[in-house]
Amino acid sequence: MRTKEKIRLATALFGALTVQSSLYANESNDRFVLVGYGDVKYENTDVANTSAFSARFVPIFLFSLNDKMHVEAELEVGLNEDGETETELEYADIHYFLNDNTTITAGKFLLPFGQFSANWHPSWINRSIWTPGIYGAHGSSQAMDPMLPILSDVGVAAQQVYQVGSAKVFFDVFMTNGPRSEAEHDEEEVVEDDHDIAFARLFSPTTTLDPDVDEDEHGEAFPEVEFEATSSDNNSNKAFGGRIAVAFLPSIEIGTSYYQGAYDEGGQLDIRANGIDINLISTHAILRGEYIRTETDAFVERDHEDVIDSFSRNGWFLQGTFFVGHLFEELGSTEIVIEHAQTKKVEEAERWMVGINYWLDPRSVIKVGYEDTDVADGPDDKRFAVQFSYGF
Amino acid sequence: MKHQSTINIFVLFTSLFASLHVHSSEPLSGAELINNNCARCHNSRPIQEFSMSEWKVIMPHMREKAHLTGTEVQAILKFMEIASTPVQAPKVLASVNNTVEPREVLTRYGCQGCHQVQGAGGTLGPSLDNIISEKGIAFFERKVKEPQFNNSASAMPKMPITDEEIAALVVFLSPQ
Repeated sequence: MRTKEKIRLATALFGALTVQSSLYANESNDRFVLVGYGDVKYENTDVANTSAFSARFVPIFLFSLNDKMHVEAELEVGLNEDGETETELEYADIHYFLNDNTTITAGKFLLPFGQFSANWHPSWINRSIWTPGIYGAHGSSQAMDPMLPILSDVGVAAQQVYQVGSAKVFFDVFMTNGPRSEAEHDEEEVVEDDHDIAFARLFSPTTTLDPDVDEDEHGEAFPEVEFEATSSDNNSNKAFGGRIAVAFLPSIEIGTSYYQGAYDEGGQLDIRANGIDINLISTHAILRGEYIRTETDAFVERDHEDVIDSFSRNGWFLQGTFFVGHLFEELGSTEIVIEHAQTKKVEEAERWMVGINYWLDPRSVIKVGYEDTDVADGPDDKRFAVQFSYGF
Repeated sequence: MKHQSTINIFVLFTSLFASLHVHSSEPLSGAELINNNCARCHNSRPIQEFSMSEWKVIMPHMREKAHLTGTEVQAILKFMEIASTPVQAPKVLASVNNTVEPREVLTRYGCQGCHQVQGAGGTLGPSLDNIISEKGIAFFERKVKEPQFNNSASAMPKMPITDEEIAALVVFLSPQ
């Protein structure tokens, strides 16, 4: 979607919801609520030798049509490097509560693959300043080549919740438009040398890399797949998948996810992803992590014939948050965050992140962080940032 | 082969979806549900941050995010209603000898949703068993009246609790 179209859409949505809000403002049982989050960040990056302030505002519009139906929409409004306002529709969907434990969702929704996209990505919830490397940068920039840079997509989903003894079991299934080949983009840009590649990744996540550079261990070109959600599909095959999770609340939640979608026009080439996620919560610490393995099909030449072969990648992150204020009262609401992430096989990289968070209240936090990414075939990336994030 | 495995996974999903035998356990209180679910992703938000009519719009959003059932959402809203009732809330019924019954105070305000008392209760907040002996009466009284005074990120709600009810809790939680 072009910037102007996005702005038009955002303006229309803002206007419509503001009118709705004023219509219902005087009623005792409000049906509309504006919540959301935002952040301001100062970031110094070593590889690009830049330092800059940035800001985002992410309103979430909630509207209860009735006891059975609920509408939600999230917009991300930010400034790009050229000073233009960028607006992105993160999600806009309607939930239909079929019965006590079943919810049907339709529209553009956060994909229930793992936990980061669906639940942990807002900056006042994510304990780190940065997105875990395996998920991409979500509009920002990062040095790791993501495993599954997908936040939301357009389609339908169903959710089921069960209480089984002392455990809760969650089922989510979804069907969406899915991915497409990056090569189909008209605006693609091919870059050649290592420095350009790193720089392009940092500032233009949709840049197509020279196939000779982006290879697996056998020297085969790794296909580039575009995941940004659109209201169209380049083939008749829909992406689908889901997540099963078991939770022993309030301490443990473990889930496994699956995603599959055809990305070429002929619908012959798939990307498949399996994930495992874990969330451990205790009085003094939180441990969050995800492992993702992907297989991406591509045509390769074997004995002068094009055959379909699959390229495998895997990656993971583990993030620990320690409430040091619980142990040393004088530190109040201070937390220490440590994160490690790796991607393997194609585009190998390894990252360490350390950070200190100080909560001003339960929804406002100042984060200070340092991140060091070791990229196997390219320049390493070191960055320092301070972020003030708030939920409202 | 690839498509067969995909179909198998999808069948597994849908069959589990449709045929799982459900065992229901004792329903949890609203306070316990807040303790169990909010902190899975974020700090619990103070109940007073939004009005009850706003919570009634926010909770269906959280129902899908946190995989809550409709019954659980109603239990949470019921607890929020109690916790956000203005100070003129009715006092806990006094027992025959005209003293406030501390266990009824704990139940009414859902304290054990987040705190353990004599081995029973949640873990979001610290155990209350040694709170008086370790922190003192003044700390306890102030914490109940101003929950964020010592920790700005504390999720503890400010309850419409009376001085008599606090006094009853102090006696109950003090070392015998």
